[in-house]
Amino acid sequence: MRERIFRAAVIALVVGIVLLPIYWMVSTSLKSNKEITQETTLYPHAPSFDNYLHLFSEKQFGSYLANSLVVTVLSVVIALACGTMGAYAIARFRLRFGLERKIGLSLLVLRIVPPVVILIPVYLLMLRLRLLDTWLGLVMTYTAFNITFCVWMMESFFREIPVDLEEAAMVDGDSRFSAFRRIALPLAAPGLAATAIFAVIVTFNEFLFALALTATPRAMTMPRGTATLIGRIDTDWASMSAAGVLGALPIVIFSLMVQRHLVRGLTMGAVK
Amino acid sequence: MTAIARRQGRERLQGAGLDLALPYLLLAPSVLIVLGVLVYPLWDGLRASTKLYRYGTPIDDIGLQNYLKLWSDDQFRNSLWVTIRFVSLSVAVETVLGFALALFCLREFKGIRLLRTILIVPMVITPVVVAIVFRLIYASDAGMFTAISQALGGGQARILGDPTNAFLGLVALDVWEWTPLMFLILLAGLQSLPQEPFEAARVDGAGAWRSFVDLTLPMMRPILAIAIVLRTIDAFGTFDQVFVLTHGGPGEATRLVSLYGYDTSFKFQETGYAAALFVTVGLVVLAFALAAVRLLRSVDQT
Repeated sequence: MRERIFRAAVIALVVGIVLLPIYWMVSTSLKSNKEITQETTLYPHAPSFDNYLHLFSEKQFGSYLANSLVVTVLSVVIALACGTMGAYAIARFRLRFGLERKIGLSLLVLRIVPPVVILIPVYLLMLRLRLLDTWLGLVMTYTAFNITFCVWMMESFFREIPVDLEEAAMVDGDSRFSAFRRIALPLAAPGLAATAIFAVIVTFNEFLFALALTATPRAMTMPRGTATLIGRIDTDWASMSAAGVLGALPIVIFSLMVQRHLVRGLTMGAVK
Repeated sequence: MTAIARRQGRERLQGAGLDLALPYLLLAPSVLIVLGVLVYPLWDGLRASTKLYRYGTPIDDIGLQNYLKLWSDDQFRNSLWVTIRFVSLSVAVETVLGFALALFCLREFKGIRLLRTILIVPMVITPVVVAIVFRLIYASDAGMFTAISQALGGGQARILGDPTNAFLGLVALDVWEWTPLMFLILLAGLQSLPQEPFEAARVDGAGAWRSFVDLTLPMMRPILAIAIVLRTIDAFGTFDQVFVLTHGGPGEATRLVSLYGYDTSFKFQETGYAAALFVTVGLVVLAFALAAVRLLRSVDQT
């Protein structure tokens, strides 16, 4: 009995600590600026969605959302296609000079270095290519980062699949490539899902490169657009909290929907 | 699969003709994109770090002077010191809390699924939004602490205006955001441990504390080490949260090295100097990662 009460108390404490800050943002977003700063109420006394409507009508949040979706989908799909093939080559073939291992290692090193380290030269590159403030500039950057991640993840998934299955398919007349496509790829599907989910979350949430590479609603993504609000009007808590809720909502819903795969993707690598 | 079996598998699969070119064709797209968008810029960044920039354009080759300047730059040293303090405090707290929570959740019970679902939320929320969440609760006029304090008859809470409180506030944000990841990794690790030693210990009459110290801790050491290393590397690059929460203030109290580098480049247009700064930071992180891998291997072998 005592143990059960203790357990319930711990769970309540953890849930409270996690949810209370989020509650405060949601609650603030439903108040008027006057109620927020002058009355400082603990919950909205006259809840309204005005702050949200304001974001769409005055602050271009529709375009931010659209930009985010396009950039995320394109860069994740391209990276997954390229990265899966690359990972398969690294997992299954031995190349001259141990090339496949060297490539795998280089990609890992590129993953370890904090992205901020190459922010400046990527900015200079996009400046030279005239790709600042475009979808394409962001898609290129995110695709490259996602590839380093996809190759690393997918390689370990392919290694788990026994080679004999592909061999059997080739004995039955499959080409080397169709053995990959028909046998290995479907078997690696759970891994592919975990990789895709993780890449979607990281890409949708990315801020640093969006900050440096975009400047107008033409290409700004959701996190980037939210940040403009903070810079310009320091104490417009109403807009800021609504923007926060709006910015987080798509990715939180997505994550909760794909929870099972997500946990697998997050914890793998560390445990194995 | 053992390494030898794997190697044999690979050899058996290496066909002839067009199949010989296949691995190169499979690798080509990834390699080309990464070369163009990451490796070339890395090289370009090295070159930029040896140049003197005025208003964003290179005007002179100055060799390693940018790097020498870093040594005597008090603001750089301060930002490095703030970063090290931030990383070590955050990661330490996250590890202890995450481990405690994982041990607590090891035995299946009602409510654990709910707990796990809720714990996913902080780490998937956009970091920029996490910073907004914490700005909202810390704010002296609209904040949650102020609201609570006023409801209890007190005055305004002063958090982001005070150097120590702002720093601890940033650490609290990171702990809120990343303890769940520590928890998930360590829980998966705990669940993968073999059960026999624990049963044997119980038969021998060892208590919970003894079997934790003698069995759990040593067996969890590799996973703990990997989780700490991963989190440390990640925390070292923290940018979004501090950019939105405090932008380094008050004064330089929360100015992490990533933010200092960013401002040096994009606010003060000293591109070459900022490039040198980031090359240095990159090397420090790589050296740390390499040392950690070495250490892990040597622990593995003993």
